[in-house]
Amino acid sequence: MVLIIGGAWQGKRDYAKTAYDLSEADICTCAGSEIDFSCRCIDRLEEFTLACVQEGIDPVAYFERNMSDWRDSILICQDISCGVVPMEARLRLWRNETGRLCQYLSARAERVSRVFCGLEQRLK
Amino acid sequence: MTILLSGGAKNGKSALAQDLVVRLASGGRRYYVATMIPVDGEDRERIRRHVEDREGLGFESIECGKNILSCLEGAEPEATFLLDSTTALLMNEMFTDNGAVDGTAGERCAAELVRFAAAVKHAVIVSDGIYSDAARYDEVTELYRRGLAYIDRELAQVCDTVVELAAGCQIIHKGELPT
Repeated sequence: MVLIIGGAWQGKRDYAKTAYDLSEADICTCAGSEIDFSCRCIDRLEEFTLACVQEGIDPVAYFERNMSDWRDSILICQDISCGVVPMEARLRLWRNETGRLCQYLSARAERVSRVFCGLEQRLK
Repeated sequence: MTILLSGGAKNGKSALAQDLVVRLASGGRRYYVATMIPVDGEDRERIRRHVEDREGLGFESIECGKNILSCLEGAEPEATFLLDSTTALLMNEMFTDNGAVDGTAGERCAAELVRFAAAVKHAVIVSDGIYSDAARYDEVTELYRRGLAYIDRELAQVCDTVVELAAGCQIIHKGELPT
């Protein structure tokens, strides 16, 4: 598994497409608390964690339960860890859960990349 | 040589940018392209501090808050340019005086800045990293963030060197810094 992180609009998805020769059809974009693991690449994990927070689901436990499904996946998540502590409780929890998931995934990843201005920085 | 500098606020971008320009210019002419159009006392104070920082470094200032290529008119292209910042430039281009929001400003600024980078011998261009917080922004703010990130990515492709600053430390994402 490969984890790609980076700030908003940094070109994470484009980087994944180039680096791993993916087409749009290979990418599943998260939009709720269920993930379609049939695609090689899962983008916008931060949308998954936001939905989890809203529905009271533990995103790390979800990934643990489905471990065999993402063992060879390319996972993309926005880094939302660097701002002021959000005023809204929901967004605070979202930030915590996203950070927790990224740590869980990066510990299990073969490679962790951070994309900055479209350029890859290899973290692991 | 062209260098893109980015990173969060107060990480030492402007100081490093000045230092790099002095190194690149090696005694030659150096321009400071000021993009901020001051609107209040806070802006004027910020500008005053920056001007003070640059004192004695031999910069000639060019005020250019919009249409960035116009800063080259009458300037010597062989000189070294410090453009600080893409952030202020996009703000001026996107949010017009009559209150309208120009959604095409990001792409236009990116194209002009790429031309600017190609037209000059040496340039250090300063941007800002505003992409890693847990906030949901309104449409207009998100348009601005998207535009600025697009400018950064386009510049990162054409610049020789791309550096991110964190706590004053340099993370070199592309190329190398001049000695």
